[in-house]
Amino acid sequence: MALSEKDIELKIREEAKKALATGEVSCVIGWTTTRFPDKMKPFFAETEAECDELVWNKYCINGTAKYALDDRYPSKKFAIIARGCDSRAINRMLKDKQLLRENLYIIGVVCDGKENPICEECQHKNPLTYDVLIGEPVPEQIDEKRFAEVEAFEKLSPDEKYEYWAKQYDKCIHCYACRNACPACNCVECYADQYRTGWQGKASDRIQNQVYGLTRAFHVGDRCIECGECERVCPMGLPIMRQTRKMLKDINDLFGDYECGMPDDAMPVLGGYTLADPDEFM
Amino acid sequence: MARIGVFICHCGTNIAATVDVEAVAAAAREFPNVAFATTYKYMCSEPGQAMIKESIEDYNLDRIVIASCSPRMHELTFRKMLKGTKINPYMLEIANIREQCAWVHTDRAKATEKAIDHVKMAVAKVGKDKPLTTSTIPITKRALVIGGGIAGIQAALDIADAGFDVTIVEKEPSIGGHMVMLDKTFPTMDCSACISTPKMVDAGAHPNITLKTSCEVEKVEGYVGNFEVTIKEKAKYVNHDLCTGCGLCQTKCPTKVPSEFNQGIGTRPAIYIPFAQAVPSKPVIDPTCCLKLTKDKCGICEKVCPLQAINYKDETKYTTEKYGAIVVATGYELVDWAKMYPEYGGGKYADVITGLQFERLVNASGPTEGHIVRPSDGKEPKDVVIVKCVGSRDQNKGKSYCSRACCMYSAKHAHQILDKIPGSNVYIFYMDVRTPGKGYEEFYDNTRADGAQYIRGRVSKIFKEGDKLICKGEDTLLGKQVTVEADMVILATAMEPAANIADVAGKLGISIDSDRWVTEAHPKLRPVETQTGGVFLCGTCQGPKDIPDTVAQAGAAAAKVMALLNHDEMETSPMISSVDQTKCSGCGYCVEVCPYKAISLIQVPGRDGNRKVTKTVADVNSGLCQGCGCCAATCRTGCIDLKGYTNEQILKEVDALCQ
Repeated sequence: MALSEKDIELKIREEAKKALATGEVSCVIGWTTTRFPDKMKPFFAETEAECDELVWNKYCINGTAKYALDDRYPSKKFAIIARGCDSRAINRMLKDKQLLRENLYIIGVVCDGKENPICEECQHKNPLTYDVLIGEPVPEQIDEKRFAEVEAFEKLSPDEKYEYWAKQYDKCIHCYACRNACPACNCVECYADQYRTGWQGKASDRIQNQVYGLTRAFHVGDRCIECGECERVCPMGLPIMRQTRKMLKDINDLFGDYECGMPDDAMPVLGGYTLADPDEFM
Repeated sequence: MARIGVFICHCGTNIAATVDVEAVAAAAREFPNVAFATTYKYMCSEPGQAMIKESIEDYNLDRIVIASCSPRMHELTFRKMLKGTKINPYMLEIANIREQCAWVHTDRAKATEKAIDHVKMAVAKVGKDKPLTTSTIPITKRALVIGGGIAGIQAALDIADAGFDVTIVEKEPSIGGHMVMLDKTFPTMDCSACISTPKMVDAGAHPNITLKTSCEVEKVEGYVGNFEVTIKEKAKYVNHDLCTGCGLCQTKCPTKVPSEFNQGIGTRPAIYIPFAQAVPSKPVIDPTCCLKLTKDKCGICEKVCPLQAINYKDETKYTTEKYGAIVVATGYELVDWAKMYPEYGGGKYADVITGLQFERLVNASGPTEGHIVRPSDGKEPKDVVIVKCVGSRDQNKGKSYCSRACCMYSAKHAHQILDKIPGSNVYIFYMDVRTPGKGYEEFYDNTRADGAQYIRGRVSKIFKEGDKLICKGEDTLLGKQVTVEADMVILATAMEPAANIADVAGKLGISIDSDRWVTEAHPKLRPVETQTGGVFLCGTCQGPKDIPDTVAQAGAAAAKVMALLNHDEMETSPMISSVDQTKCSGCGYCVEVCPYKAISLIQVPGRDGNRKVTKTVADVNSGLCQGCGCCAATCRTGCIDLKGYTNEQILKEVDALCQ
């Protein structure tokens, strides 16, 4: 029988306490309540008492994994409450060599979706990587409509597409929230934050906004784990996932079935060199 | 403030006919920081260079733009010129207004406009040029030759004669390659073994040459002048230090398997010297068929060996040695025609043989002692069909390229058959007859005078009827079907690169084309170099060729090796990658994409807030880096720059163009 929401919450608290009790873990990253009943916030439980403040309900939406990057050189382990999407985010950052597996204690939780539209498309309700698992694994669904939106959009003429994106990016305010939330955006110093390099203009004008949008899409294109955090956090409501999904669709068309954040050793398709690469152009 | 000089070349009429060079100069004078702009008929000529040098002095220039041909042509020329001036040779940009402008356009007004854009971009880029200095690295004065065919042997002999140590790595138990299998060489009809075995003996006895047979290259590290190569020596099961090559063991061995050297016609024992003139002339045991090694029975060779040289417990050994230069001479194999052409019997008729099998048949030291007989029944064939272009010039079934040597060896085979078998008939099915070589056309003429019948067309089917092989084809000159009843069919099968060439190329960091031939650095001007410094090529690993071309190329590769090893140290190009390690995230994707294995992740001390930490960052090996820029394009943070093509410079060029 599947565990109830409350059972899971209690189990999370229990596992969090156990993790802290080992003395190897500095804090447990999860969620806690706010003054709004339908908003939970990320929470770092550092003591046994604080573990009782950890919660699990359908409003626990924020990704937990990326907070591990706040301390890139930790003296102790981080424990992370990880759903399927969080575990893929962890795999992403492990593959990108930004986290060390031995610095993580992963408390996996089987998740049947939150109050977040992207959860309806979720293909990984079960965590892929974990040290301890809470809940019984459930069968995964294949999202047949993964690229439906992109396919429909592709039918528009180039002018219509440009008009659409120009309008969307005219709204961008360069807050970089999409980048901050994204587990694939894990550079020590983002290109967009550098000054006097000529990469990214700081002005909020049509050209610079579009340069940012395109560059971001290409930087995460073959590494996107489809958690949808970029689009969720955008204060201006830009359909950012549509861009990354287009990249992923093209990669699927060109390189075969492709999903990121899996626990295998495959390199991102655009970030590798193999002897089998044809080089007729040389 | 930069003081830029712009020099626009007419290149005779190559540029000036399509581009209004004076208008380009006038426009250039208006660009920011341009102190001087002029045109000249031939900028690369001596007076042209003198004019540039004078202008540098007269106008106190500190960097220059030359608008002329491709930088591949004359960038080096102008760099050398700058060495004698106060300007650093790398404060130079070439605007390619010939190949990328004048030669590809006809509209003079538009071409001029484009040339002005090219110059504008170069001016923007040169403004951000920084002086670069070359550094030097020491050179290990030894060469490695991969492959012991005629190409490898010739290259090794030439390098060794110049006084350098050479190692030949050969995967077979003997050097010699394909040439020693051949009977006669066209067009002179020299005995192939008679002219190649002395070279093999020379290589074996040369004080500067080390032969490593039954060996393969396992791993290559390092860079030009300083390669570290791990060589895998397969178990021979015979101690060659003790063995005198008496050959007693192979006469007593009870196992018989098809002989590789004789192309499957005839057999050899499990312990064997591949052929009579093998170098080294000492046996090895084939572990796949030896009864002792497969079933722990027999052991006769150990009993009969008077010197106790047999060692069944021999193992694969690995040795690592340093070399300054590497020559790739891995040669060719014949395509597997049986898979490609089921209509020729797909290998089920014993009397449909390849040209190389015929060479063994007609060879006095071959399995039939030089008697041309049918492999199936040992009868002398009277009617022989030769089919050319089997697997070559056939985009549908085989390779698109011409295999080059087949026209001539087929003519030679026809000549040999007509000469040795009185009253015989030879029919040669051909697409074209290609005889571009000294004495080749004359040889072809003689073969036809001997009585060989050339039929223009492909053979569509070969099948057996009684004792005969029926060859059906088309005579495209007469436009009718032809049927020939043959006793034997010889297929002129295409050459293809050695099976493991992709593996070897990967280890060396050199590129291969879609047919897997090794790519030369420049098809005309750098034909024996590869894209990787210090790695050279010769022979058929680069493309099909005959023996004279192979030997000439081997000599050329040897000359390049000697030129490299003759120096104690060498200059390295300063136009390589550099990593801004303060920004580097250590993701390592640059390591993955580097074709030259020039980047690695290293640990460096760093700070995180007020803590001392160890950071992982990318680091470029300046000896290995060839300046291709893959890493710079991969780096998301933009912390990798290619010196001379920095991110800033590229963006300046884009800005200049978009203004």
